[in-house]
Amino acid sequence: MAEVIFDKVEKVYDNDVHAVHDLSLEIRDGEFVVLVGPSGCGKTTALRMVAGLEEITDGKVSIGGRVVNDLTPKERDIAMVFQNYALYPHLSVSDNIGFGLRLRKTPKNVVEERVAWAAKLLGLTPYLNRRPKELSGGQRQRVAMGRAIVRQPQVFLMDEPLSNLDAKLRVQMRAEIARIQHEVGVTTIYVTHDQVEAMTMGDRVAVMRRGELQQMAEPHKLYNAPNNLFVASFIGSPAMNIVEADVMRGDGGVAVRIGDQELPVPEDVVRRRPALSGYAGRKLALGIRPEHLEDGILSRNGGARLKGRVLITEALGSEILAHVEVKATPVVTEDVVEGAVVDEAEHEIAADLLESGNGDRSTFVGRFDPSSQVRPDDEIELVVDTEKLQFFDLETGHAIHESAV
Amino acid sequence: MSTAERQAELALPSVAERRRKKRSGFADNWWRHLVALIGVVIALFPVAYIVSAAFNGDNSLSGSSLIPRQLTLDNFRSLFGTQRHTTGHATFQNAHYLSWFGNSMIVAGGTALLTVLLSALAAYAFSRFRFRGRRMGMLTLLLIQMFPQLLAVVAIYLIVLNTGDVFRFIGLNTLPALIIVYLGGAMGVNTWLMKGFFDTIPSELDESARVDGATPAQVFWGVVLPLAAPVLAVIALISFISTLNEFVIASVILETQQKFTLPVGLWQFIDQKYSEHWGPFAAGVLIAAIPAALLFAFLQRYIVEGLTQGAVKG
Ligand SMILES: Nc1ncnc2c1ncn2[C@@H]1O[C@H](COP(=O)(O)OP(=O)(O)OP(=O)(O)O)[C@@H](O)[C@H]1O
Ligand SMILES: [Mg+2]
Repeated sequence: MAEVIFDKVEKVYDNDVHAVHDLSLEIRDGEFVVLVGPSGCGKTTALRMVAGLEEITDGKVSIGGRVVNDLTPKERDIAMVFQNYALYPHLSVSDNIGFGLRLRKTPKNVVEERVAWAAKLLGLTPYLNRRPKELSGGQRQRVAMGRAIVRQPQVFLMDEPLSNLDAKLRVQMRAEIARIQHEVGVTTIYVTHDQVEAMTMGDRVAVMRRGELQQMAEPHKLYNAPNNLFVASFIGSPAMNIVEADVMRGDGGVAVRIGDQELPVPEDVVRRRPALSGYAGRKLALGIRPEHLEDGILSRNGGARLKGRVLITEALGSEILAHVEVKATPVVTEDVVEGAVVDEAEHEIAADLLESGNGDRSTFVGRFDPSSQVRPDDEIELVVDTEKLQFFDLETGHAIHESAV
Repeated sequence: MSTAERQAELALPSVAERRRKKRSGFADNWWRHLVALIGVVIALFPVAYIVSAAFNGDNSLSGSSLIPRQLTLDNFRSLFGTQRHTTGHATFQNAHYLSWFGNSMIVAGGTALLTVLLSALAAYAFSRFRFRGRRMGMLTLLLIQMFPQLLAVVAIYLIVLNTGDVFRFIGLNTLPALIIVYLGGAMGVNTWLMKGFFDTIPSELDESARVDGATPAQVFWGVVLPLAAPVLAVIALISFISTLNEFVIASVILETQQKFTLPVGLWQFIDQKYSEHWGPFAAGVLIAAIPAALLFAFLQRYIVEGLTQGAVKG
C-alpha cells in the first residue's frame, strides 16, 4: 500500500518563484503516473517535494497514508532516478546498485542476492565490476534504474531519466522502464516534458502548466477529451488544428463556419454537448486532430469538406503529413501557443504570432494516407471527420465537453 | 545534442591531431626537449649542491667544489653521533637530530591531516548548506588570509604563552601548540580551494545518496570525500611541505632541543658565521627531504586520477 497524495501543495522558492500552485493529485498504489508539461512548469519541483529534497511550502504530501512533509528522504522510503543518473564514480556498478542496501545495514549475502537480481533484470550482469565511466549512456541509465529497484521502495521517482539518451535508445528504454515497473509493481511518478513519452508510458498522465495542474487522466482521455485549449494543443504530435469558428443554427441542425466555409456538425455530437447550442451566433475555438483530416480525392463518399491550398508535404512512409492553408482565423491565445511550442527556437515565432494578432489564414496539418498524390500548391479539399470535432470556449479556453461534465 | 553527435564532434579534431603528431618527429620537437632539459637543470641545481655538500669531507661551502674531492659519510654519522658542538650561543648534541626529525614528522603530518579534515568540513558546509552568514563567513576567511601569519608572531607568542598557563599541553614549547598555530594559518585558502572543488561535484550525487538513505555524515564520508581525493591530496602535500619548511613561528614557540623541529634544529649548524657546519646541515636536509618525496610519490596517483569522470552524463 503506497499511494501518493498531493493535497493542495504549494511551493514558493526563496526567490519568490511560485513554482507549484494548489496541486492536488491522487496516485494509486502501483500506478505509473507521468507528470508532463512545458519547461519550467514545476514538474521537477513537485517530484523533489515527494523525495524530500525540497521543502513543502504549504499543503500536504502523503505516501502510503503517512504525511511525509517533515520526514527526511531516508524516512520516506523512496528511490529516485535523476536526469543525469548521479552514479557514484568511485564505486563499481555492483557497489552503486547496492549502495542503498549497504547503508541500511542489510546482510552481505542479501545485498549480493538483490544486486544480482536487479542486474539480471536490467541485463547488467556482465558489467557489475566496471566503473560508471566505462559504461555507455544506456548502460549508465540502467545502473541508475538498478539502484532504484534494488531496494524495493514504496515509490519510484524519475526525473526525465531518458532525456540524455539518443532517440533510438530512448524508445527502447521507454519500453524497458515500463516493463520493469510492471514487473516490480511499485508506484511510480515519472517526470518528462516529452508528451510522447507521457502518452506511451503512463497509466495516467498529469499535465501541468505554470505550476498548476491542467488535467489528470488516462492517455486516451487526455487525447480525445482534453479539458482545455492548453492540454489540447500540448498533447498530440503533430498538434491539434485549432481555428476560430462561428456556431450557426439552421434548418439542417447546427453547423460551424470556418472563414467562408461551413461544416455541418452531426446531430449526435450536438446532442452529447448540450452547452454547444448555447454558442449559436457566437464564436468558439474548433479543434480538429490531424488524423481526422483526409485527402478529398481519396475519400469517394462526400462528407464535410474544406477547401485549401497545400503548402508543403512530409512523406513519412506510413503516412503523409500535408500542411494545408485554409481561409480561417487561427486561435493564437497564450494557451495554444504555449502548448504547441515544442522547443526554444519556436518561442520567437510564437511571440511574433501573439503580437501580430489573428491573421485570416490558418495552416491545417492533415495526416493523409500514403497513397495521396498531393503536391505543394495544389488546391485540394480536406475531408473532415466531423464526429471527432472538439469545441472550446474562446474566452476561458475550457472545453465544451460531452454530456454534463 | 545527442551522445553520438557529441562524440562525433569530439572525435573529429582528435583524429586530425593524431595525424599531425605522426608527421612531426624530433626535428619539429627539439625545442620541447630543450625546454624540459632546462627545467630539469634549474630544478636539480640546488639539489646537486646539497648532495655534494652532504658527502663532502670539507665543512665549509666556499672552498668546496660541486664534485667533492673526497666522498665521505662522516656528515651523516655525525648527525646521529654524540659528538658535541659548540656554536655561538648553545651547546648541543647532534643526537638530537632524531628528535627533530620525529618532531617535524609529528607536526607536519598532524598539520597536514588536520588541515585536510578541517578545511574539508568547512568547505562542505560552505558548498552544500545555505545558512545565514555563509557569504560573510567566506569573505572573513579570505580577508584574514590576506595578512601573513608573520605579522601575528608577537600575538601568537603571547596567546600561546597565556593558554599554556591554563592548558599545559598547548603552551609554549609543545608540539600541539605549534600544530594549532599552523592549522589556523592556511585554513582560509584551503577552505576556499576545497569549496571550489566541492562545487564541481554534482549535487545530484549528494541528493541521490540522501534518497538512498544516507545521513549528511555518510554523504560526506562516503560520497564527497572520495570524490574530492585529488584536491585532498594536493592540500595534504602542500600543507605537509610548507609545515616542514616553516622556521619563524617554530623558533618562537619551541624552546628546547628536544622539542625543536628540523628547520629550527638544523639552523644551529649554520648559525654562526665562521664555524658553519654545512656538511651535517646538508646531510640533515637531505634526509628530511625523503618523507616529503615519499608522500608525493604516494599521493601522486590521487592527484592524477580524475575521479569525477562518469558521475553524471555530459
Ligand atoms: N532552487 C530553486 N530556486 C529558485 N527557483 C527555482 C529553483 N528550482 C526551480 N526554480 C524555479 O521554479 C520553476 C519550476 O522549476 P522546475 O525545475 O520544477 O521546472 P520543470 O517543470 O522541472 O522544468 P524542466 O522541464 O525545464 O525541467 C521555474 O520557474 C524555476 O525557475
Ligand atoms: Mg525539470
